[in-house]
Amino acid sequence: MSALVSPRSRQELRARDGVKIYCQLSAILSILIVGVILLTLVFQSGPVMFAENTGLFGTRWNPNEGVYGVIPMVFGSIFVMLIATLIAFPTGLMTAIYISETRSSKLRRLFKSTLEVLAGIPSIVYGLIGVAYLNRWVANIFDLQSGRVILTAGILLGIMILPTFLTLAEDAISAVPMRFRENAKSLGLYRHEVFGSAIFPQARNGIAGAGLLALGRALGETMAVMLVIGSLDRLPSPLFNPLSSGQTITSKLGREVGESAFGSIHFSALVFMSLILVVITITLTILSHYFLNRKHAHV
Amino acid sequence: MTICFKSKKRIALKLGLAGLTALFTACSASEAINVSGSSTVLPAVSLAADQYTIETGISVIVNAGGSGSGFNQLAEGQTQLGMMSRDITKSERAKFPDTNFTEIAIGIDAVVPSISSEIFEAGVQALSLAQIADIYAGRVDNWSKFGGPDRPIFAIDKEASRGTRQIFMAVVLGNPNAEAPGADLVTGSNNEEQTALTQSNAAIGMLSFAWLNKDVRGLSIILPTGEVVEPSLENIGNGTFPFIRDLTLVTRGDLEPPAQSFVDFLLSPKGQEGVEKSGYIKISE
Repeated sequence: MSALVSPRSRQELRARDGVKIYCQLSAILSILIVGVILLTLVFQSGPVMFAENTGLFGTRWNPNEGVYGVIPMVFGSIFVMLIATLIAFPTGLMTAIYISETRSSKLRRLFKSTLEVLAGIPSIVYGLIGVAYLNRWVANIFDLQSGRVILTAGILLGIMILPTFLTLAEDAISAVPMRFRENAKSLGLYRHEVFGSAIFPQARNGIAGAGLLALGRALGETMAVMLVIGSLDRLPSPLFNPLSSGQTITSKLGREVGESAFGSIHFSALVFMSLILVVITITLTILSHYFLNRKHAHV
Repeated sequence: MTICFKSKKRIALKLGLAGLTALFTACSASEAINVSGSSTVLPAVSLAADQYTIETGISVIVNAGGSGSGFNQLAEGQTQLGMMSRDITKSERAKFPDTNFTEIAIGIDAVVPSISSEIFEAGVQALSLAQIADIYAGRVDNWSKFGGPDRPIFAIDKEASRGTRQIFMAVVLGNPNAEAPGADLVTGSNNEEQTALTQSNAAIGMLSFAWLNKDVRGLSIILPTGEVVEPSLENIGNGTFPFIRDLTLVTRGDLEPPAQSFVDFLLSPKGQEGVEKSGYIKISE
């Protein structure tokens, strides 16, 4: 018997080793890819950082004169992200509470699957809706000549990150064990008190993590923003005027990468902006992991 | 039995792989001609491309992206032909000193200062170059200054590398790369600019002649002599309209036969028909 079994198990072992090595290689490869991307960004940003008189941290962008001020784009990215946050977070949080605390689990599943469909719609589709409708509505409401302004981009992004935020926040709230609700209720607390004093403190970190992940998506979004933001490389005036056209890092890259020759200072300036973006996104991701993991440690 | 089974499996696998490889090589070997660049030149070239594919069976892939992008993609070897609605600049040539670029004119077009139909119908139908310069330099910001309604002027600019913009700015502000502090919005292709002009009721922008329609009207230009020149096919053909330009195809030194034959086709009467259908003027032999 054993003589019959051993060759087969050896074969199995070999197969298992193969799978193991394959998995390890895949893991190493994915880490390598991240490393290579970061290194490429750093090296390609070199030329513009060491070139003289590029006004890199100024507010003027004119590749023809060798002036590459990135401030309007960085400001635009952050401004648009803030507007998106203001729209998505309160709405998302309220809806998450509504679904998880007051509705049946059947309805909850229906909501969740609808949201996942929403999250999966390609961004260009949102962009087209933005150009066709949202942009005109904003123009009519605020009596503008064109709705291609920072506010439109912010609203559109808010709608886009809402499903991501909502579904993750709802997960965080639903993950709080039932016994906390039951205990709180048995103390005679009202529904809002149950949520406020028993559930929210436990779900808080999860919600924060969800928010940061959604912010990361907002920062990286390109197509939809590019179509509605107006692409003006200038700081709005007055500075926090959401009704003027602007530019984000991603929309700038989308518009200009095609026309900058690889290896030129112009190209390097664009890469430098993407480096800024990647650094912000990585920070957000690390923070969100920190918050999401801390939740598990507490419960 | 097992051996037999295994080898069958292997044969099937090998056959599958061979099939895939054959498929890939077939795809890459088919002699598609890649063209990209100016959205102004695109309609004429794609009309000709359709005709050319019907006649020869060689497919032609035409993409927009702007003159600057068209030049870069050609220079970097991603395409065989670039479409440009302006001349190649010195700095562009300097970036690729080892490559020999040839510009072939395939038609004539004009950049037309265009305004929203509401302003046109309210009476602003002609401006001088100095007046247009005032708008883009940010010195004038109300249509009432030009006899129009009391409405702020919404000035639409284009991406810096766009051929249309460079011709427009060269004539209006004297420098193809002039900054336009009076601009309120920046667009890319002719389509995008046309949409923005249509959606506004007080906008001015720059469009290729072929993109004018009843919602987007072309301004006549008041020359220093006092003569008013309309943007018409006739005035573009005889060169009196100030924003005339050649629509060109750009080739590299190493032009291959299929791409060369497509260029020849574009210059032939059949190809030129496409140029005319797109609203441009034929190149005279």
